[in-house]
Amino acid sequence: MIRRPIPRWLVVLLGILGVFSLLAVYGGLSYRQSLVNEKQKVIPGLQAFGDGVTRMTAPQGSEETPKPSMLVTDLRATYWRLFLGTGLGVVLSVVVGIAMGAYRWIAAPLAPIISFLAKIPPTAMLPIYFVLVGSDQTMFTTMVALGIFFTMAQSVYQSIVNDVKDEAIDKAYTLGASDPEIVYEVIWKQVLPPILDNIRLQIGPAMIFLLAAEMLVGAEGMGYRIRMESRVLNMSIVYIYLCILGFTGLIGDWCLLWLRKKLCPWYDR
Amino acid sequence: MTKKHWIFVCLFGAAFAGCEPSNKSTPNSTGSGTAGTSSAKPATFTLAWSEYPSWSVFGVADEIGLLNKEAGKLGELEKKWNVDIVLKGVDYDTCLQMYGSNTADAVCITNMDTLGPATDRASVAILPTSTSVGADACIAVGVNDLEGLKGKTTRGLERSVSQYAFERILIKKGLNPKDYPFSNMDPGAAASALQTGDSNVQSIMVWNPFVMQTLRDQPKSKKLFDSSEIPEEIIDMVVVGKDSLAKEGGKAFASCIVETFYAINQRMADPKTADKTLVAIGANFSSLGLEDMKQVVQQTRFYKSPEEALKLLSSEEFRTKTMPAVAEFCVEHKIVEKKPSIGFDSADSQVNFDTSFLQAATSGK
Repeated sequence: MIRRPIPRWLVVLLGILGVFSLLAVYGGLSYRQSLVNEKQKVIPGLQAFGDGVTRMTAPQGSEETPKPSMLVTDLRATYWRLFLGTGLGVVLSVVVGIAMGAYRWIAAPLAPIISFLAKIPPTAMLPIYFVLVGSDQTMFTTMVALGIFFTMAQSVYQSIVNDVKDEAIDKAYTLGASDPEIVYEVIWKQVLPPILDNIRLQIGPAMIFLLAAEMLVGAEGMGYRIRMESRVLNMSIVYIYLCILGFTGLIGDWCLLWLRKKLCPWYDR
Repeated sequence: MTKKHWIFVCLFGAAFAGCEPSNKSTPNSTGSGTAGTSSAKPATFTLAWSEYPSWSVFGVADEIGLLNKEAGKLGELEKKWNVDIVLKGVDYDTCLQMYGSNTADAVCITNMDTLGPATDRASVAILPTSTSVGADACIAVGVNDLEGLKGKTTRGLERSVSQYAFERILIKKGLNPKDYPFSNMDPGAAASALQTGDSNVQSIMVWNPFVMQTLRDQPKSKKLFDSSEIPEEIIDMVVVGKDSLAKEGGKAFASCIVETFYAINQRMADPKTADKTLVAIGANFSSLGLEDMKQVVQQTRFYKSPEEALKLLSSEEFRTKTMPAVAEFCVEHKIVEKKPSIGFDSADSQVNFDTSFLQAATSGK
């Protein structure tokens, strides 16, 4: 029967089974590739992963000028860029989205431009970014920020149009609310949950844009390392980096879900 | 909890088990299998090539019918050698990955990049196709000489021939590479950064077609030095996996590639077909036209005949100076952990420059 509930222990068991199956498939593939070439690094086994971890956590630089390990350097660079870029993009799109939802004269000129630009992948416009913001830190931040800005501003605007009813606004006016009060008390409170959901949806694209940019212009960061190491087939390092990225997305997702439950407990009811 | 749950669990397991057989067939279907055996059906081999003057030759060979890039179809020379060559025209980085993962039997690769995969897959260099004599260059905007470049970061692909050429030339000029920082950027991106006037990028080290493009499209740019200072150090070649070469039909595959390469070179030498061939190569190399291509083949000098190729491989300079220096660079920059053994006509080396196919091509005339 469709959608019949299953007991809790079965959910957990099947979840664990899924993870193990994934590992088993990986192990099988790794073994098969070893038959093709016993020294293969493409689908490395446990031993190779150990070596990979040792290499990426070993301190770099000379004794006089020690530098942090590969992993620390890359994580620091990538997370900082991701954090700044997403933060900026979210703030901008919320402000613009709400302004568009509140005032028709703001929405009228912006809506068509934004829905047009939302469809263009920012990584395809690399030279334009070079002209506008150069190729250093600013570029990564701008690319992530603009990459998610257009899509998100559009959906914030859409959810205000769809979810915030005219009656609610009229009622607030009748009760004597000012414009800023309506924006905060009526609009903001209603669109906060969809905004949080939207941020969750944008974590993936934000990481894609950042990694693509790092692969092309980065001198450090996860995208840079993935490209450099996969070029010489050090896949043990690459896969660990990919796992870290996967978990980053997962944890980000959970945090936002938790935040939504805390901030808007009424939403799930 | 009923039986139905267990059916679901079983289905789940079966789905994974089902993956196995279909996965197993992949190596065969990609053409690196040993399916040929003793039947008349020719064995299938894969050559991965990327757009570069002396490698785009294989794209042209497919266009004029010497080879047929598809599996199961034979070109003129494939019929002669009774071997089915599958040509995969992909990105350079993808070429390296395909070769390293045994997905391709042979690859178009530079002498330097051979060392990385060779530590895990013993490799046989069968054919040097060209050498860079100006195709890799350091170009700057607002910097007029090497004195001015001191302390300024040059952008280019790290751990590639770009960085190799950059450091080698500096050393050759008696300068210390430590005074000239080099930082990673994709060559295409670096070229467009310099062309758009990005203030962070003042100097780049890239290869063709980016060298030509940048010098033309950025009037303020100036070439500081190029690989003509280190001729015959950056070698473009075709490398076959030792395992693939040992397979039935492997030698025919290598011979067929060598013959194809020289067949196109003859068409480039023949005044009747020279321009046409050059245009065809240009169409397979960043869509360059005839005039550009005439300059390109000056900067990427082809080894036009087996004799020229043999001369390189027998030269003391290349054997005892260039290759050891390249290996040294690879270890220093952590491209390889340990130097692979490099040999000339020595089957046990991890990188073996095998001249037998070239020699056969000379006597074949």
